[in-house]
Amino acid sequence: MEFRFIHFYPDLMSLYGSYANLSVLKRYLEELGNTVVVESVLPGQEIDLAGADFLFMGAGTERAQKAALADFMRCSDAVKAAAERGTAMLFAGTAMELLGKTITDAGGTIYDGMGLADFVAVQGPHRMVGDVYGVTDLYSGAVVGFMNKCAHITGVKTPLLTSLAMGFGNEAEGGPEGFHWNHVFASELTGPLLVKNPRLLDTVADAILRQRNASLPEERPANRWADGSYAITAEQLRLRCEAQKTTK
Amino acid sequence: MRKFLAILVCKMGRAVGKLVGKGSSMPGKFALKICPDILRQVELPQHVIAVTGSNGKTSTVEMIAAILRAGGKTVVYNEEGANQIEGVTTMVLTHATFGGRVNADVLLIESDERYAAHSFQFFHPTEFVITNLYRDQMTRNGHPEWVYDAILPAIAPETELILNADDPLSSCFADGHERVQWFGLDRCSTDTDAPTGVYHDGAYCPVCHAPMEYDYVHYNHIGAYRCTKCSHCKPKTDYTATSLDLERGSLTIDGTVTIQLAFRSIYNVYNILAAYAACRRVGIAQDTIAGVINNYILKNGRMQKFILGNHHGVLLTSKHENSIAYDTNLRYIASTRSDCVVLVIVDAVSRKYFTSETSWLWDIDFDQLNVPHVKKILLAGQYCNDLAERFSFTGIPEEKLEVQPSIPKTAARLQDGAEQALAGREDLYVVTCFSDRDKLLTLPGVKKEA
Repeated sequence: MEFRFIHFYPDLMSLYGSYANLSVLKRYLEELGNTVVVESVLPGQEIDLAGADFLFMGAGTERAQKAALADFMRCSDAVKAAAERGTAMLFAGTAMELLGKTITDAGGTIYDGMGLADFVAVQGPHRMVGDVYGVTDLYSGAVVGFMNKCAHITGVKTPLLTSLAMGFGNEAEGGPEGFHWNHVFASELTGPLLVKNPRLLDTVADAILRQRNASLPEERPANRWADGSYAITAEQLRLRCEAQKTTK
Repeated sequence: MRKFLAILVCKMGRAVGKLVGKGSSMPGKFALKICPDILRQVELPQHVIAVTGSNGKTSTVEMIAAILRAGGKTVVYNEEGANQIEGVTTMVLTHATFGGRVNADVLLIESDERYAAHSFQFFHPTEFVITNLYRDQMTRNGHPEWVYDAILPAIAPETELILNADDPLSSCFADGHERVQWFGLDRCSTDTDAPTGVYHDGAYCPVCHAPMEYDYVHYNHIGAYRCTKCSHCKPKTDYTATSLDLERGSLTIDGTVTIQLAFRSIYNVYNILAAYAACRRVGIAQDTIAGVINNYILKNGRMQKFILGNHHGVLLTSKHENSIAYDTNLRYIASTRSDCVVLVIVDAVSRKYFTSETSWLWDIDFDQLNVPHVKKILLAGQYCNDLAERFSFTGIPEEKLEVQPSIPKTAARLQDGAEQALAGREDLYVVTCFSDRDKLLTLPGVKKEA
């Protein structure tokens, strides 16, 4: 099969190696015998989302996020329609905040979001920083990652990570993180979360395939480096969680 | 009375700390508890030079201190690197009389970029050098614009800014500020036409977010930028590297000062330029500056030569979580012509605990090592899997890579040379961070060179 990926603002929203989410997903589907074409969308550039298999936007600074938002709103209806149809999409880092109703910056200015979800994001003068170790309803096993954000997000009814044993979630430390609805995945987890979490990569890849009436094959190419990295990270963060419990 | 007590406690604390080998922050911390605004009450030298930025702070400060001393100035600076307010307080009070007068011609401060506003709430630098603002230590710094916002309140109207004209972000500190001196590098032979690297922080204007264009680029997004919409562009420089030949190691500043570079990295050139500009502002003669910088070897050990087996090794210290530091050292390796082996070690990202934060690996342009003279690349340390996964997205042939978590075992491979590629006498370049470098350098088979 040939898949069409849309990468929104690859230079503007490019913090923390976010692009690697797209790279790893592309390579994974190609290893499964598919062809993947990635189209980049720059601010102001025309884009046709009809027939797109996957939409992606990575993390940006708070200022870059507002610049991206100003442009992205023209795509709002098309993205919402694609989400309704079940098109897979990932909004990573500050890009997640664009999906909600509003974003309030640290100075109190309120920006309209695209309203795909009911949540609101309020940015502040302090950053919430630290490792994340949590779980999701999508599969068993831990989700690992790192959080570095300045926004509290309230009103998420369907989080991606249902609870955290360590780290900051949408609203509070230890609370749910991210957003998941239909095949829309969003998380403020930093950087290449699909590289760090091979099973989340499976999940997103499967969502893309399902829209084409296919699914992940039982036999899949192993990635010993990503699997090895995940195993070490999950174990080390688990040990830190246990140590934190003991000291509390 | 509180002032006297704070100075006394600080001096005593520092003396005891030196005896027991403790750090230099604690005495200042106690002094600030006794007298919170002690830094406002001391009498500072005529020149207070501060240096901050993402990269090059320590090297620049070291160079400035050496030049000023050669120029006959007495200098007090935080040689031990404690660069937050407590460390600055210790340094100031340790060198103050009990009446509160700092006995020096120049107070030179390396300041942590995130805490500069805190450090300078009670006094202001007379000259403030900001080297650059890059992606750096995301686990604490957020991102470069966040750090920009943190530094901004530290800048007082009367302070003279000494800024890097070639950095599109840190140059924004000049907006609305009257007293600015610029340093920068003219077009040179190694320039490219467009930004290089994995990401493009200079793609959009930091002022208006319109696309930027470049006349030339020295590295990554550092060069002659021009916004396509607003007036933001590389300004005319006051202190200029007018000629640079990295291959021959020669640098000319302001058309007249010729310097032979001990370390032929463009990074080093910017540190020299920043130091040159600061010292000229304090009135040091060009000849004196050139005399010190010529073949100046950094004391901070960022480049350590060593022998391992038959290999002549050079350890290039690259801050983890700082992709431009890595990119610069990788570019240096790529620019060498002799066959070499490269060892990349990532064993501890945080000194305190294991962290999953490895996104910075994806910001490094490891493809620079995809050159014929790099014969083998060894990936070592606890994060070797993360490194290997990152390298699997480069064009570097898989057979050139070797992955081994154990640093001693990796060193043994280089020492006994079980395979032909490693048994030779190729140069060996090691790229790693301060937190991991001694894990190699202290191994029994490694002989450090002066």
